[in-house]
Amino acid sequence: MSLLSVRDLHVHFVKRDLKNQVRTAKALNGVTFELDQGQTLGMVGETGAGKSLTASSIMGGLAGSAKVVQGSIQFEGKELVGLDVETLNTIRGTGITIIVQSPLTSLDPLARIGEQLIRVQQEHAPISREDARNKALDMLRAVQIPEPERRMEAWPHEMSGGMAQRILIAMALVNGPRLLIADEPTTGLDVTVQAQVLDLLAGLVHSRNMATIIITHDLGVVSHYCTRIAVMFAGTIVETGAVDEVLNNPRHPYTRELIDSVPERIIDRGYRKVGRAPDLYHLPSGCLFRYRCPMAAEICHSVPPAKVVGPGHAARCHFAEQVNEAMPQAAMSQTAAS
Amino acid sequence: MTTVLTTAAPRPSFWQSSFVQHVIGITRHSPTFTAGVVIVLIFTVVAIIAPLLAPYPPTRTFPDAVLSGPTAAHWFGTDGNGMDVFSRVLYGCRYAFGIAIPALLLMLIIGVPAGLVAGYVGGLVDDLLLRTFDIFRAFPTIVLALAVVAATGQSLIIVVIVLGFLEAPIFARIVRAEVLALRSSELVESAVVIGNPTWRILLMHILPNSIRGATAQCAVRMAWAIRVSTTLAFIGVGIQAPAPEWGVMIRQGAEYINTGEWWIATFPGLALVGLVLGLNLLGDGAQELLDPKGRDSR
Amino acid sequence: MIIVQYLARRLAFVIPLVLGIVFITFMLVRIGGQDAVGMLAGPMAGKAEVEMIRRNLGLDKPLWEQFFIYAQSVLQGDMGKSWQSGRPVLDEILTRISASLELLLISIALGTLVGVPVGLRAAMKPNKAFDQISRIASLISFSVPTYWMALMALFVFFLGLGWAPPPMGRLDLAVFPPATVTGSYFIDSLLAGDMQAAGSAAGHLVLPVLVFSLIIAAPTIKQTRAIALEVLGSDYIRLARLYGYGKGTIRRIALRNSFVPIITYIGAELATLLAAVALVELVFSWGGLGQWGLNAILFGDFAAVQGYVLVLALFASSVYLIVDLIVLIAEPRMRR
Repeated sequence: MSLLSVRDLHVHFVKRDLKNQVRTAKALNGVTFELDQGQTLGMVGETGAGKSLTASSIMGGLAGSAKVVQGSIQFEGKELVGLDVETLNTIRGTGITIIVQSPLTSLDPLARIGEQLIRVQQEHAPISREDARNKALDMLRAVQIPEPERRMEAWPHEMSGGMAQRILIAMALVNGPRLLIADEPTTGLDVTVQAQVLDLLAGLVHSRNMATIIITHDLGVVSHYCTRIAVMFAGTIVETGAVDEVLNNPRHPYTRELIDSVPERIIDRGYRKVGRAPDLYHLPSGCLFRYRCPMAAEICHSVPPAKVVGPGHAARCHFAEQVNEAMPQAAMSQTAAS
Repeated sequence: MTTVLTTAAPRPSFWQSSFVQHVIGITRHSPTFTAGVVIVLIFTVVAIIAPLLAPYPPTRTFPDAVLSGPTAAHWFGTDGNGMDVFSRVLYGCRYAFGIAIPALLLMLIIGVPAGLVAGYVGGLVDDLLLRTFDIFRAFPTIVLALAVVAATGQSLIIVVIVLGFLEAPIFARIVRAEVLALRSSELVESAVVIGNPTWRILLMHILPNSIRGATAQCAVRMAWAIRVSTTLAFIGVGIQAPAPEWGVMIRQGAEYINTGEWWIATFPGLALVGLVLGLNLLGDGAQELLDPKGRDSR
Repeated sequence: MIIVQYLARRLAFVIPLVLGIVFITFMLVRIGGQDAVGMLAGPMAGKAEVEMIRRNLGLDKPLWEQFFIYAQSVLQGDMGKSWQSGRPVLDEILTRISASLELLLISIALGTLVGVPVGLRAAMKPNKAFDQISRIASLISFSVPTYWMALMALFVFFLGLGWAPPPMGRLDLAVFPPATVTGSYFIDSLLAGDMQAAGSAAGHLVLPVLVFSLIIAAPTIKQTRAIALEVLGSDYIRLARLYGYGKGTIRRIALRNSFVPIITYIGAELATLLAAVALVELVFSWGGLGQWGLNAILFGDFAAVQGYVLVLALFASSVYLIVDLIVLIAEPRMRR
């Protein structure tokens, strides 16, 4: 049994527009993956591909009009979809935890750092203030915060971005979770600080033998810190496998595009120039990537199956076997440049 | 031939027409907006066709029916001068809009450019403007309006001008905030890079975007102008009797309230509450439609 | 220390602020065509007499000199004399302000006690029945003019039901006012042990307080709801939810973070309400500062008008200052 198992997850945003028409944005369309202890999964894809939404679904934090319409999420064998908030609260913050991308605004501005570290423990277990305080101090040392004793008394607004992210990591890990989701943990941090925070995180995760999902735009981060990769496009995982295998031998044209189009390996900006994402309100049938795909053919009007192309390596493409051969690097980079 | 084509296409029934669906959609998103629009429309129509609706001229006196309660001849009764309250309430709509619309225009004419300049130029100009607002903030607007109108003369035009000047800073503030947010946006940055002159950037890029933020305020400010102008008239400053203005009428009615002639003050007050409520609903709803943030959070 | 610095900066602005206020007050009675001298002299006065009054009042001097003289005397506490009563304006203000404050403070307390909890409750479950009802109710009472609501309340509760005393001041005619301690007739008569006076004072307070606190509660509900909604939608509340915090804890965090903006809002309200209370005073013949000020405006008693406007502006500015200080204490971000 896997630690986390997501099966055929569909999430829709349903709303009525001002013209009284029901509009459904199909944001997740059958996301399936598994994760075991000790594994680190990198989720990549452009903005709107559904990476953060997958994370929110696992955390039970879907906002407003978003609903899980189909599929299951199992954590340690327990079904999370449809769970009531009270039961969910016994799992999130302890079993599963998350680090968000805006650390400075995510700390309660009116509570001292120590108070927040103690609070997150006392919310989940009948622990004495003294014990909680000591654990908090240990945790601050673990995330390499200098003068932890003094920092316990500090206010959030006195933190730098990198410091706040370390505090957040401390809060996330203090209850000993088995699964950590890091949702773009270093966006908005200085480049020098990014590496420090990621190295720290990787070390902590490794020593605790936790499972981790890192959501990022940065293929460099994935290749450096992750064991597995899941490439998302328009709400589905189009390719997944071991990081080295997928990056060296991509079997989906989109993955290929990602790898080739990336100046300095930062996907987000360079990426949008390559092509537009499909309109989630009017999803076409068949392969969703075919409008941008240099290999598109008649067959792409039917939904591509997930083809296993290697041990633990699968891609959703009719031409999965030919991708690397049929798409010479030069042709791809030209598409990227235009 | 074309007629054949058009008749061949199935015509949607009235209820399926896109206009009706649009109205239903907006009402679903903000019932308050639709309610506000309906109320304000009714008052607008009454203001325009008041002479057709009113049974009598608003200042005609009926010496035989002074202080008559509501009867078939005088639906809302008559006041101390024997004037028909119903007719006067209807004509009162004209005063309300006649003050609110020009006052709003004046607020916009003063406030929007001031906000644009303060936000775009920044620095000393911005500081000076903000400090001036701060000083004016210390004065309750109603008392300033009272003092100025009382001191400068009792005319409708003065009331409009004073109201316009007093609330212009609100629009200046809104526009200034929008400009500050927009100034660093990619849109404007690229316009600067391309080499557009400042006035062009202000006019073509910043103005349309920042006015959007001020639209919901327009209805609320009109409601405010009507409230304050009627308050002035109630106190006895500004518009004077026998003008058929709601504040004036409530002032006249206040003298009789303790002797039981309730209708003189009650009906114009109800009309006033109705129109102000309509405008506030409209403004509140417009805010809701423009910025539906409050809806999605749990 | 940063607090001291901030305080110094904040206080440094008080001086130009007060000067600005005095200047606007000064200009206020000078922009109009109303002839104060003519009123003072009366219709029988000859030309020479008018000239003499002008000179006595200093109105023959250039405008800047007049302002200088005015500012100087105001700073010394001399606001001139009311021509209606012949008494110094400052005395008139001091004898009346406690009546207004009694009405104002009780109404604010009541309006806040109703408005804040209702707004918070509405924000907890937005767009549910309670929220919709409170929203419509607050919009309606926000749209009702103060004086008209007062008139209607009088009609119903005094004339119709006979529950309320007549709208003539703060005590029954037969009751003597208590010795002044706080200025509130109700509290002072309690202190003096005069139960009859206390009952009479309370009875006279009920209706105006009810009307005015309704007027105050309406925008308070709306603002509190907006503030709480913004806090509930913030990143830190979102994270608290994702970390599985209990409902109670989340509510506590949200409340604490709503406190400062709500205080700021109530302060801003309080600052303008000393003016708004005048309309309630007018209808109930309360005899406070507001009624006196409106009367002065109506009769062109320009020294009194200046005094009234000046007191309102200074009151508002000091409320803003006090609110800023409270924020300074409650808000760690300011304490840097």
